[in-house]
Amino acid sequence: MEIDEDDFVFFGTPIEREEDTISRKKKSIAEASGQLRTLAPWKQEVRDEEGRRRFHGAFSGGFSAGYFNTVGSKEGWTPQTFTSSRKKRAEIKQQDLSNFLDDDEKAELEGNSLGTSMQFDTFGFTAAEIARKQSEKEQNERPSAIPGPAPDELVVPATDPIGVRLMQKMGWRRGRSVKSSKSTHYDARREARKAFLAFAGPEDAEVEDAMETAAELPTDDIIQFQKSTPVYVLNPKQDMHGLGYDPFKGAPEFRDNKRSHLPGNRESGHKRSLPKKDGLFSFKPRNVAPGFGIGALEELDAEDEDVYASGYDFEAFVEEAEEPSRLAIEDKKKSSSKEHGVLPGFKAASNTDYQLERFHPPVVPKDFVPHHKFPATLEVNQKLTEVPPSEVPPPVDNNLKVLIEGVATLVARCGPLFEELSREKNQSNPLFGFLSGGDGNDYYKRKLWEARQKHGDKTKPLLNEKIAPNAQKMTPNAQKMTAETRGNILGEKPLNRTAKDLKPVVPATDNVNLQFHLSDTFTEPASFVEPTEIAKPFQHDPAKQERFEQYLKEKYRGGLRTIDAGGSSKMSEAARARERLEFEAAAEAITQGKWGKESQLSSQQILGASAGLGLQFTSGGSEINGVSQTEEVIKKSMFPKREEFQWRPAPILCKRFDLIDPYMGKPPPPPRSRSKLDSLIFMPDYVKAATEEKNTLSNNVSLPQVDEKRRTNVMDAEDVEVENVERPVDLYKAIFSDDSDDEEENINTNQQEDPTKKIEAANTTLSRLMAGDFLESLGKELGLEVPPDQPYKPPQATQKPPTVQDNPQNHEPINSAAPKNISVQSTKEFDHEIMKKETKVRRDKSSSDDEKSRRRSKRDYDSTSDSSDGYQDRHSSSRHKGRKKEHRKHSKHRHHESSSRSRHSADKEYIDSKREKRKRRD
Amino acid sequence: MEAGTMSAEELPKTEANVLKGHEGAVLTARFNGEGNYCLSGGKDRTIRLWNPHRGIHIKTYKSHGREVRDVHVTSDNSKICSCGGDRQVFYWDVSTGRVIRKFRGHDSEVNAVKFNEYSSVVVSAGYDRSLRAWDCRSHSTEPIQIIDTFLDSVMSVCLTKTEIIAGSVDGTVRTFDIRMGRELSDDLGQPVNCISLSNDGNCVLASCLDSTLRLLDRTTGELLQEYKGHTCKSFKMDCCLTNNDAHVVGGSEDGHLFFWDLVDACVVSSFRAHSSVVTSVSYHPKDNCMITASVDGSVRVWKA
Repeated sequence: MEIDEDDFVFFGTPIEREEDTISRKKKSIAEASGQLRTLAPWKQEVRDEEGRRRFHGAFSGGFSAGYFNTVGSKEGWTPQTFTSSRKKRAEIKQQDLSNFLDDDEKAELEGNSLGTSMQFDTFGFTAAEIARKQSEKEQNERPSAIPGPAPDELVVPATDPIGVRLMQKMGWRRGRSVKSSKSTHYDARREARKAFLAFAGPEDAEVEDAMETAAELPTDDIIQFQKSTPVYVLNPKQDMHGLGYDPFKGAPEFRDNKRSHLPGNRESGHKRSLPKKDGLFSFKPRNVAPGFGIGALEELDAEDEDVYASGYDFEAFVEEAEEPSRLAIEDKKKSSSKEHGVLPGFKAASNTDYQLERFHPPVVPKDFVPHHKFPATLEVNQKLTEVPPSEVPPPVDNNLKVLIEGVATLVARCGPLFEELSREKNQSNPLFGFLSGGDGNDYYKRKLWEARQKHGDKTKPLLNEKIAPNAQKMTPNAQKMTAETRGNILGEKPLNRTAKDLKPVVPATDNVNLQFHLSDTFTEPASFVEPTEIAKPFQHDPAKQERFEQYLKEKYRGGLRTIDAGGSSKMSEAARARERLEFEAAAEAITQGKWGKESQLSSQQILGASAGLGLQFTSGGSEINGVSQTEEVIKKSMFPKREEFQWRPAPILCKRFDLIDPYMGKPPPPPRSRSKLDSLIFMPDYVKAATEEKNTLSNNVSLPQVDEKRRTNVMDAEDVEVENVERPVDLYKAIFSDDSDDEEENINTNQQEDPTKKIEAANTTLSRLMAGDFLESLGKELGLEVPPDQPYKPPQATQKPPTVQDNPQNHEPINSAAPKNISVQSTKEFDHEIMKKETKVRRDKSSSDDEKSRRRSKRDYDSTSDSSDGYQDRHSSSRHKGRKKEHRKHSKHRHHESSSRSRHSADKEYIDSKREKRKRRD
Repeated sequence: MEAGTMSAEELPKTEANVLKGHEGAVLTARFNGEGNYCLSGGKDRTIRLWNPHRGIHIKTYKSHGREVRDVHVTSDNSKICSCGGDRQVFYWDVSTGRVIRKFRGHDSEVNAVKFNEYSSVVVSAGYDRSLRAWDCRSHSTEPIQIIDTFLDSVMSVCLTKTEIIAGSVDGTVRTFDIRMGRELSDDLGQPVNCISLSNDGNCVLASCLDSTLRLLDRTTGELLQEYKGHTCKSFKMDCCLTNNDAHVVGGSEDGHLFFWDLVDACVVSSFRAHSSVVTSVSYHPKDNCMITASVDGSVRVWKA
């Protein structure tokens, strides 16, 4: 090409090769950026986007005229709307020199032009000026409703004057005195020197004194100095005058008047002092320098007049500068007197009458015990000493009997005053003769006593608890020795569960009364005999019985960690697990028996049932030896256990494994449902087991199908379900769900005459107790304080008479424990409510679950049903497994164990809890 | 010994070479895909490449900051992945000996590591109860998949063409089937120390911490056999099957090496191979040859 160039004529522009243009483009971009950074504007060259320098011809200015020799900007010509010059005639552009100058010319000019520098703007006037100008400019540009320049007062300089800034740098702050402590020190020294001269010699000591005090002065008065700078206080405009108009311009004394009369006058003390002073002394002439005041005791002199007074009356409020140093000048003794904080003009008295009188605290007697014992109230004492009137047969006349009873209740409720009143009123009435010792007086007394007791029980449950044993002893019905007393005599440990069962239902003393009432209807309550027997299902083996009792105790202690009984440590794991099962079942049986009692099953039935249950579980004891041998077989049948889950591989993983993503195009799976409650509730296994058993007893209709299936399945197994089905839903259902409770009650109470009311009562107690247990264990788990185990109470609730039941108020659980318990109770009840709601929500959720979760639950069901026949084995081995967890830490290398041991233990806990959760989930 | 079958005589019981060089315990020893080289890693934070047949130390790979717990080499012998106490998975170039990539993400020590069939993914098993899959093809050092359904430290991992199998201290051997998108969890009830696939891929051998090796059928999850006699209670110890799946090989904490008959579960042979815990065993893919690593600091090559 190059050789032939001379011979050929080229037309048109050759098509450039792409690489060339690209490289040039890149180069140009790089250059441009470099140029922009380094070169002066006139040295920069205009190039097109291809990096070529554009030439516009010599006549139009050579290179780089306009934007590539065009009008407009880089964006090109922008269309604009037409504006008529006729309407916009007023727009005359003010032009000045700078409009016609280039940047470089301006730069040249800059040295010659005069301007104010902010550098020496000591008082901020320049800044204010600039601000004013700026606002004026803005005013011109922007049409405003109010024509003319803005008033100066409205224009505030944007910056601090350099003086202020300097001062601030030096540590001064607004509102502080400009005067430095040094200068005051200097002043004071000068004064001291003067004083020294004045005293002229002889009293050297005094002079020294003066010197000393003078030297001390600044530190003492530093606070006063600090406040003495004038401060601009923005005065809000409160009047109706025009801006800048001052009605008191010629007569400032009226202003003070006005100010004091203003309703919303909220001037603080220092402000008020100013007008007073003005009033006291002569009026300040207008030409006193604004912002700089004079001392309170100073006369206004000619030298104080402001020569440069601008004639402005400052609207801004100026705090009067107080200058104590000047006061010090006037009064030489002042400096010393000031030290003591004495008012000026006064001096401290040399001797004072006032003396601080001190009183010593009373001497505490040595034998004082800082422990307040509440004396029992008079009434109680009375009750304790009062021998109850002997039982009297009611009068023959039925009307009289009713009357007597009515009056007795009233008197008991309203006090003896009522008795007096009615006695006076009905003196003539022969019917009321019993009040004054007539017919039926004995019966009345007896009734009154009873009513009083009853009334007292209702109002003072606390006291009654104390009385209860006494009252019981005092009752003539000594043959009705309660199970508790009998237990005490026999040295037996009370069964906590029964105590709890019955307490809220009827207080102990109430029972006494009830017994009295019902002595004719109920002759031989079975519950008096039963608990001692049932509590000893392992009578043949005292050691085992002991462990069982220990277990029962632990059961209500709560918490996941159980204290292993000392005796059982000798046993093998499997044996222990087996025994544990037995205990659980036995405890269940006992409670079942109790519940049966409560719902007034015939005692025979209960005894039969309990005996049957007892047999069932005591027979387990003989199997213990066999267990260890079969353990391995069990384990083998248990493991390996296969479970299947959905798992979603990442698409990229599938790709890397060269597989087709099984979930391609499907939405992401929902996270595995882990309920918050799972992690929240740590419940002892046996509580759950208990609830589960409750469930098994109730053949539920309304529960979701899966649950029901499982339940029926378990029932088919004809065994007490002890496998932990850790689904809180079930627990809650068991506790709170009304229908299940109803069902249960129906089973237990089908022979009842009046079922509904009893069901209600039993339901409330049942749910309360279950929740109470559960919450108590929870509370213990969380380390909260839980009311102590209550003493054993006889299961007299079974004798709840129908008469009392008719009265619903009597059912109100009067907690016979200490009053603090009541609050606990109430919170518990509140908790019920919440949890009830929760259960409902959960149930709804479960019913409307998607297919996936259904599948999961089905799997749960399968796994449960699979092992339902061998559940005990599974249970024991799972327990076993739990113990084996300890070994697991060995799985780590021993070599690095030491370094990571601490973390390991924490991890292990975490793992355990996680495992727990997992188990629950499954 | 007592069951002197034909194959029992062919078992590699004679010491062919002792590979010495590691200072301190050797925690892992692995044949490469063809069985002509082997890699070992140990407490001295190095990975060593050996020719076990000639007993030559070829190369040392140093970059780990802590002990090396597992190492695996690609089928084309070009890359190594290794893991250990420094919570990272190292991806090495064999010839240059440089670390190509370090995969960070495990919250704790990494117990095991494996390449997949195409050497495109490294799957690591960590003490942080997770399995993580790392992509070797991209430059990302983030895991492409995290599997954290384990309840305890994951001790061992094996890969097939379509599955990831891992054994954990929570007692499970979990199979993650990528093709099916499901997880099979086989709970053995005992902490699983090491898992090893049979050569036909139908069974998985799990070493449990109750001194038992368990052979599971992978399709049904059935327990096929248990192998006992050795002690394995607190160390991470390998187990494997011979290349013809006739015997099960496992070390013991007392330094013995055990051979069990696969079917009878009887101890075919056991002898003292090392003076201390046998941490790792690896069987030659074709020959009757195996290597064992021990806490005593040596790697021994055994031949028939």
